[in-house]
Amino acid sequence: MDEPIKITRQKRLFDISPEMANVCLTCGACSSGCPATGLVPGWDPRKAIRAIVLGMEQEVVDSKWPWVCTLCGRCQYVCPMGVLLLKTFRACRIARDRDKVPGPLQKGTDMCFERGNNLGIPKDDFLFLLADMSTEVEEDEETPMPGFHVPVDKEGANVIITINSKEPFGEPDDMIFWWKIFYAAKESWTVSSENWEGVNWGLFSGDDANMKIQCERVLENARRLKCKTLVYPE
Amino acid sequence: MEYIKDGRLNIDKTKHQMPTTVHDPCNYGRKSYMTFGDHHADNIRWITKQCIDEEHYREMVDSPLNNLCCGAGGGAWALPYDEERLAYGKYKSDQIKATGAELVVTPCHNCRDQIMKGLAKEHDLGNYKETMYLWELVAESLIIEPWNDEEVAKGHAERDAQNEKFEIDLDQEW
Ligand code: SF4
Ligand code: SF4
Repeated sequence: MDEPIKITRQKRLFDISPEMANVCLTCGACSSGCPATGLVPGWDPRKAIRAIVLGMEQEVVDSKWPWVCTLCGRCQYVCPMGVLLLKTFRACRIARDRDKVPGPLQKGTDMCFERGNNLGIPKDDFLFLLADMSTEVEEDEETPMPGFHVPVDKEGANVIITINSKEPFGEPDDMIFWWKIFYAAKESWTVSSENWEGVNWGLFSGDDANMKIQCERVLENARRLKCKTLVYPE
Repeated sequence: MEYIKDGRLNIDKTKHQMPTTVHDPCNYGRKSYMTFGDHHADNIRWITKQCIDEEHYREMVDSPLNNLCCGAGGGAWALPYDEERLAYGKYKSDQIKATGAELVVTPCHNCRDQIMKGLAKEHDLGNYKETMYLWELVAESLIIEPWNDEEVAKGHAERDAQNEKFEIDLDQEW
């Protein structure tokens, strides 16, 4: 006969207390409301929580489940017992070896750490693009905005805005929406020349250290340039 | 939002006369509420309704805090599980279809890409025609008055000083 499973505090991958085995009612509310239920054979939020409580943490960490789960938080929001499902599934991502993080998530996180944005766009190219587009926008046929330019590193601006690196990389015209709003409102605003990335992939890849660095950089830009408001359109 | 309240933006509601709905990103709705005790669902709707007539607005959900994720949360665009991402979004697609909306407004890069580039191609979204960022809707609804000569001159002076500081030469071949 198989040995009974003992639930102890020993050798736990992350901070799940053994009492959780009793806290979770196995009611299944989390799984009923989870749009990812049924997408990964063998897994849903209730099962994943059960598995973790029973000491099968590594199985969950090695599975696709924590990555197909979008960390939307619905399960945790409805759980009648206050089980921290969202936090637990993100902890599963954190517990993955960095070189086993699927897709380009960790690569982007590292790139951002090294070069200030997820896609590694060089500073010169970025500044040239902004300056070049400013001229085009000024003379735009449909909605000309005479006098417009993108203020970079403008000290004392009211507003500092971050940019999603996919925009300068592939959809630069999408940056103009904010420019129009600032122009029309005659706002005093700015963009940082360094670390302007508005995406924080450390949050998703489960890289807490880099996530914090990225947050600090964004705040540091705002402090350095003495801006009152930070606009983080993610 | 402040800009609109203070009358700093001149908005033309006639530019977007089509059935419109709002998709709440998990991060601005539920997760913001769970983390900070406050959420932005009402603000998103308020701004949207400054740009379109109330009669065109179609609500998608009874409670924005229970809203379904679009399926691209958690960095799914940078994960290799496209099939799951699209299957996940079937619920969202059905919700959009049920509103009968042509325009879906959302203030999130991920959600916008998922609805526009993912769900719209994969699933039947009914009347759906396009997705806009919330700030895109505002920007495209604006009546933009050109600045006066003095403001333009000031802008140009700042621009030139900046280009000099960063050594940007726009005539240079790239
Ligand atoms: S909703 Fe909570 S109590 Fe119910 S099964 Fe899920 S984790 Fe357990
Ligand atoms: S956070 Fe993950 S497990 Fe919870 S409802 Fe959302 S997708 Fe499902």
